[in-house]
Amino acid sequence: MRIERNGAIAALHGHCRVEDAETLAALLWEGSVTTLDLSGCDSLHGAVVQAILAFQPSVVGSPGDEFLKQHLVPALARRATAD
Amino acid sequence: MIDELLAQFLIEGREQALEAGADLAALQRGPADPARLDRCFRAVHTLKGSADLLGLTPMGRVLHAAEDVLGRLRGGQGEGGDFSVLLEVADQVERWLDDLDTVGVLPESASAASQALIARLAGDGAAPQVAAADDWDGASAFPGRAGVAIRYRPRADGYFAGDDPIAIIKAVPDLAQLRVSLAEPVADPALYDPFRCTLVIEALSTAALPAVETALRLVRDQVALATLRAAEAFAPAGVEVETARRTLRIDAARVDQLADLSDQLVVAKGGLIELAAQAERGGDGQALGQALRAKQAELDRLVAALHTTVGQARMTPLAPLLGRFPRLVREIAATLGKPAALEIEGGEVEVDKAVVDGLFEPLLHLLRNALDHGVERPEARTAAGKPAQALVRLSARTVGDQAVIEVVDDGAGVDPARVRDRAVARGLIDATSAEAMSDAALVDLIFLPGFSTAETVSSVSGRGVGMDAVRAAVTRLGGRVEIDSRPGLGTTVRLALPIRMVLAKLLVVESAGERFGLPLDGVAEIARVPADRIFPIRAGRAFVLRDEVVPLVDLAQALGAEAGPSSDRVVVAGVGGEPVGFAVDAVVERIDAVVRPMAGLLAGARGVSGSTLTADGSVMLVLDLAELLA
Repeated sequence: MRIERNGAIAALHGHCRVEDAETLAALLWEGSVTTLDLSGCDSLHGAVVQAILAFQPSVVGSPGDEFLKQHLVPALARRATAD
Repeated sequence: MIDELLAQFLIEGREQALEAGADLAALQRGPADPARLDRCFRAVHTLKGSADLLGLTPMGRVLHAAEDVLGRLRGGQGEGGDFSVLLEVADQVERWLDDLDTVGVLPESASAASQALIARLAGDGAAPQVAAADDWDGASAFPGRAGVAIRYRPRADGYFAGDDPIAIIKAVPDLAQLRVSLAEPVADPALYDPFRCTLVIEALSTAALPAVETALRLVRDQVALATLRAAEAFAPAGVEVETARRTLRIDAARVDQLADLSDQLVVAKGGLIELAAQAERGGDGQALGQALRAKQAELDRLVAALHTTVGQARMTPLAPLLGRFPRLVREIAATLGKPAALEIEGGEVEVDKAVVDGLFEPLLHLLRNALDHGVERPEARTAAGKPAQALVRLSARTVGDQAVIEVVDDGAGVDPARVRDRAVARGLIDATSAEAMSDAALVDLIFLPGFSTAETVSSVSGRGVGMDAVRAAVTRLGGRVEIDSRPGLGTTVRLALPIRMVLAKLLVVESAGERFGLPLDGVAEIARVPADRIFPIRAGRAFVLRDEVVPLVDLAQALGAEAGPSSDRVVVAGVGGEPVGFAVDAVVERIDAVVRPMAGLLAGARGVSGSTLTADGSVMLVLDLAELLA
């Protein structure tokens, strides 16, 4: 995973693996990032998804991967706005 | 013998599984419907009995568990109820029936599948699936959707074990919806443990259940699945789904007879050609008339013979039906620990195929009842001076135009006092009127819905698939049931059934607060016609249906009642070759019923072609729409 910061927006790139969950959790807990851009993601591990659910940043972006675009990102976005 | 039973089970079992499935789907969607629940319970009950009889143990076990759950729901325990697992049971049974049909045995996976379903039906937390399922209801998670609902709750240490729940769910084919959430809120973000899995994944797949199960096989213990059926797949609630697939075996000699008659008809028709030619030549009018009359007499004879032979072709002997019971009785007797012999008489009696088809369940129930409640325990029998082995007799005979079938046991008989106490306790009759009733009238109370004399619930009967169900089934066939009990000597249950019956398809409608049957063959369609599409035309009213002006008649008014509150339901029927719309308050259901012509004073009632008894025993008038408008 590669994280690209742009103010309150953090863009995640590549494959976000289980070990990246800790990095992301720390980043989100610190509080300056309120929005995640998942456009550049190739995959998201369950632990990363869980971190996003735990800290509830806004989720934006339309990744190239079908599953991410069709299902996972909409599910995370819905979750973030619903709460 | 087993092959024959299996063949029979494949036909009837499928109908029952389908019926149960349709009812469960409706129950899952709709409000509580005790009649539907009852019907479902009976279907599962019968399926279970057949599966046990055929030695299909995994199927029998899971159906037994399903029956328990349904029994609790009927008893009013368990709010709402989770019908999704029950539906899966019905589906699984259907799939097993397919397997039985093609390869003759249950697949190897049957035991495991049965165990898994039983665990989920039990919901006792003992099985790993249940831990994942909690009280999860797939239907409410994805309302109105069809497919396989998935709830995946990975183990807390799943990430350490190398599982990626997201990758696993991604592998499920044909994902239609996905939801992700946390099993527990994050109490303190500072202490958030990113590697303790708390994910909950809910998804819907439109793939078949086995495909979904395969994709999730490695985490099967953390997954709950539910098969959802879309509402559109079924008829609206209240309208029966027609599942009956009837087959008829005909004696070859009768088919030969039919062929012979049709040959003679062809010859008779040929004679008419010659007579027509004579008439064209302007031959002797009187001679021609005589020749025509002779031909007409011959045609009359042939048509009558054809009518009779076709009628007979529907007649079928009772032997195959009765032959199914000896083993069932042996098994029931063994389960109860009451030695019993079954005597069968009258297998040669022929009745209408439709009657034979409808008799298995009521007779099975009567035999179960006789063994379970009628026959005493062997010790009690010996003490009473009877042989330890009980005797149950199942006999059929023809009396006039009726077939009389009796189930006779030599048990203890029905105790009128106990029936009275039970009926009073259940609030079926009040104590004062009970005092005035004769013993025979008291014994007859066991046919009331909600009555069951069994003090304890037994696995064989007495779970309330009561005698009322027997009476309802026999009434549907146009027959009646009587019970005759001699205390200490035994009970006789007598079914009197019509040998021939003509089942009419009826559309039941409601008008002016009453229900009426309309012959379905006259009904072209059921339309919704909003008030603003109705316009006056001369003295009456009409509406436009597909560019055709159709007169509209209020059924209540045609029947001489006050016009009811306006509803937009219109039954369009062909009357004298023209479509006519009949405004009704509601369209209730479609039924097959035995229609009896009106007798006595009512025979002249205008617009009424007959009456039929509904399953609850009330009388419904069947209308003749053409006569109604004449």
